[in-house]
Amino acid sequence: MTKIDNIADTSGDKYKYGFVTDIESETAPKGLNEDIIRLISAKKQEPEWLLDFRLRAFEFWRNMQEPEWAKLTYDKIDYQDLYYYSAPKQKVAPKSLEEVDPELLETYEKLGIPLKEQEVLAGVVAVDAVFDSVSVATTYRAKLAEKGVIFCSISEAVKEHPELVRQYLGSVVPYTDNFFACLNSAVFTDGSFVYIPKGVRCPMELSTYFRINAKNTGQFERTLIIADDESYVSYLEGCTAPQRDENQLHAAIVEIVVLKNAEVKYSTVQNWYPGDKDGKGGVYNFVTKRAACRGTNSKVSWTQVETGSAVTWKYPSCVLQGDNSIGEFYSVAITNNHQQADTGTKMIHIGKNTTSKIISKGISAGKSNQTYRGLVKVGPQADNSRNYSQCDSLLIGTTCGSHTIPYVENRNRTAKLEHEATTSKISDEQLFYCRQRGIDEEEAVSLIVNGFCKEVMQHLPMEFAIEAAKLINISLEGSVG
Amino acid sequence: MSDLLQNIKLIGDQNTWISNLRSVGYKSFEQQGIPSPKNEAWKYTKLRDLKVDDFVISQPTNASSEITLPFDCYRICFNNGWFNPLSSNLPQGVEVLPLIEVIIMRPELHKYISKVADIDSHPFVALNQAYLQEGVFIRIDKNVDLKRPLAIVNHTSSGSDNLFFNLRNIIVLEAGSSATLVEYYGYEGDKKSRYFANIVNEIYLKSGSRLNHCKVQDDAYKANHIAFNAVSQKQASCYKSFCLQRGANIGRNETLVNLEEQEAEAEVNAAYIMDGWATLDTTTDIKHLSPYTYSHQLIKGVIGGDAKGVFQGKIHIAQGAVKTEGNQLHKAMLLSDGAEVDVKPELEIYADDVKCSHGAASGELDEEQLFYMRSRGIDLEDARQLLIDAYLNEVTTKIDNEKVSQWIKLIAQENRK
Repeated sequence: MTKIDNIADTSGDKYKYGFVTDIESETAPKGLNEDIIRLISAKKQEPEWLLDFRLRAFEFWRNMQEPEWAKLTYDKIDYQDLYYYSAPKQKVAPKSLEEVDPELLETYEKLGIPLKEQEVLAGVVAVDAVFDSVSVATTYRAKLAEKGVIFCSISEAVKEHPELVRQYLGSVVPYTDNFFACLNSAVFTDGSFVYIPKGVRCPMELSTYFRINAKNTGQFERTLIIADDESYVSYLEGCTAPQRDENQLHAAIVEIVVLKNAEVKYSTVQNWYPGDKDGKGGVYNFVTKRAACRGTNSKVSWTQVETGSAVTWKYPSCVLQGDNSIGEFYSVAITNNHQQADTGTKMIHIGKNTTSKIISKGISAGKSNQTYRGLVKVGPQADNSRNYSQCDSLLIGTTCGSHTIPYVENRNRTAKLEHEATTSKISDEQLFYCRQRGIDEEEAVSLIVNGFCKEVMQHLPMEFAIEAAKLINISLEGSVG
Repeated sequence: MSDLLQNIKLIGDQNTWISNLRSVGYKSFEQQGIPSPKNEAWKYTKLRDLKVDDFVISQPTNASSEITLPFDCYRICFNNGWFNPLSSNLPQGVEVLPLIEVIIMRPELHKYISKVADIDSHPFVALNQAYLQEGVFIRIDKNVDLKRPLAIVNHTSSGSDNLFFNLRNIIVLEAGSSATLVEYYGYEGDKKSRYFANIVNEIYLKSGSRLNHCKVQDDAYKANHIAFNAVSQKQASCYKSFCLQRGANIGRNETLVNLEEQEAEAEVNAAYIMDGWATLDTTTDIKHLSPYTYSHQLIKGVIGGDAKGVFQGKIHIAQGAVKTEGNQLHKAMLLSDGAEVDVKPELEIYADDVKCSHGAASGELDEEQLFYMRSRGIDLEDARQLLIDAYLNEVTTKIDNEKVSQWIKLIAQENRK
């Protein structure tokens, strides 16, 4: 036992992906005001309606209060002390990988996503790599275009497919939704846009790697995914960030619209810098993710592996409007040292025969605190809807905390709702069993943790599952793995 | 705030200890006010229509209680919240005194008043403290095992519309003692009378003591009943409670248990049956403050009409409180289209070597079970009734005292008036 306590104490402050790439950033002055928003909009050559949208959001945001209900404590963010725009300096937009700054490419290589290799190797994954705020390289566009799939950065989409963006932007997460979503609506710089036309099964997994670079840059990504009738897409999002002392703010929005008989699978591996072992530095991650199942039989599935960030505030949600629609949420969250995570999901049942499933696994180690906060809401019209929720927490060490706060609101008698939650530690029996068979203690703990998460990990796409397993080991390095 | 409440003359105002206590409570309530839905602890129980100004502080009456309980007990009676001196003879080692007398005559007992019930986050406890005057002080001596239950019966007589009464009972079980406490809140006459009962019980269980606490809330269906039970438990003490709520328009039974020393154990069970437009709220907060402490909760509800059932349950495990166990289960059955249930079970855990779980489920009567019964010649209404009784049986059979348990089952079966 002492050994586990020990390792939990000395857990690693080494951040494997911590390095800073030296690329000149073009940065707007610090602070947030109407001029900055006009500047962002102008730099991106946006149409009038989008500028309007941003300004309305900003106006609304000025009267909003930062939420305080989450079980999170962090230094107050001075929103006037941040840069809201920074873009890698490049004269012309790159048309192919050759035109991309080689230093950037090297960065990705260090991260383990060699773009070139991926383009050469038979295409499984298309990468719309985002460096800071501007999309720098997009591969496999042509191949996707053949099928009619649109996969590009949101700024491009604004120019090339304004009708789609205008119709759906803000329709799932309106700017009035919450403080961080509103801020994002005012200042978002880039993100991904996906449109899968009717009846198309996207031929490959779409993937975006985010990196936060450039000092003091808040990242305000905005992702919009539209799956038209009878379509299918699996979308991967992965994140790493360099090591820094100052806290970095990240307030992203992901909006997904799922129409009749369509299915969207959204997987995330989040590994931003969590701060050092004394809780210094680290990314503040305030994300609003929401999917609307608008048609009958539509389905959306969120899978997330959260290992990074100093502060996480994230509740991927499903609005089940269409009859027979399905929402799923699978999550593994690991916090170590001084990390704090307040995460969970919302399942809003509106249509008839809607089904939702929540599997959440939380692991807290060191001095970290983790909260599962979820809502299952069944409206009066949602006959025969069904929900199953399971939230398990594992605690490693005596100084961490784990909290579970599910809200269940049922207004329909035919709905069947079940919620279960357990909290425990790794039992001595399990450890003893492994050690008896010659497995050393650290390995045994890692084995048990992997078993604990398995139910969620198996929902990740293959490529991601491998990376995620590595991340779990890195996050608990020194502590368990 | 209410002018009326401010101007009322309360007994014992000349005593500085009590007048200070009241003014602290008054200030705290004034600051907090009637909680809005923005107050997380009152998120689901909406008190829009509850205004303190609408009520008049209850005055002593001559009416005597008509309510009899079908089991042998020591009765402590209240009428409209006013204490009726006890008729039964109490055995040696049991003290039952009017609270106000204890405050004035026995300053050594002040340590039990307003200690475990905290006013700062509980506006109605603050309100209760502001108008503290009625209630009893019960003390069971060391190692006394009280066989017959003590029953606190509050009877609201007819013509009590808009009455406000405030009760504060202090119950102290000395080391090694044990007792059963029954609380019953009923009314007579106009079932539409809209009175407001605000009840606070402070319970102190010394080491090795054991309290079996059963409560039935059967108030008039337009009444408001807000109760707060705060329990402080020392080593190896055991608190076993059950609360049935079936009356009132807004009813809330909140239980706070502090498991302060090792081996303390609490079992907090409840049931609610409702229809009409009622909101019945069961809130628990179990704090495991020491290692080797245990808690169990089972709450079951049956909701019909346009009623709303609320359950908020919290298990808190403090840092260092290892080897603890906390379980909680809430189940609700919705009988009608207008019924609603809102549930917030919560685990807050700061220690690793613990076993905690909670579960929540809601659904309707099982069609197949109904069909099974009907195919055997039981008519629909009887079959439904049988299934509901069976459903509630799981929790009512957990009551330790056989006779009390039988009585509560009967009340649960009666149709709502």
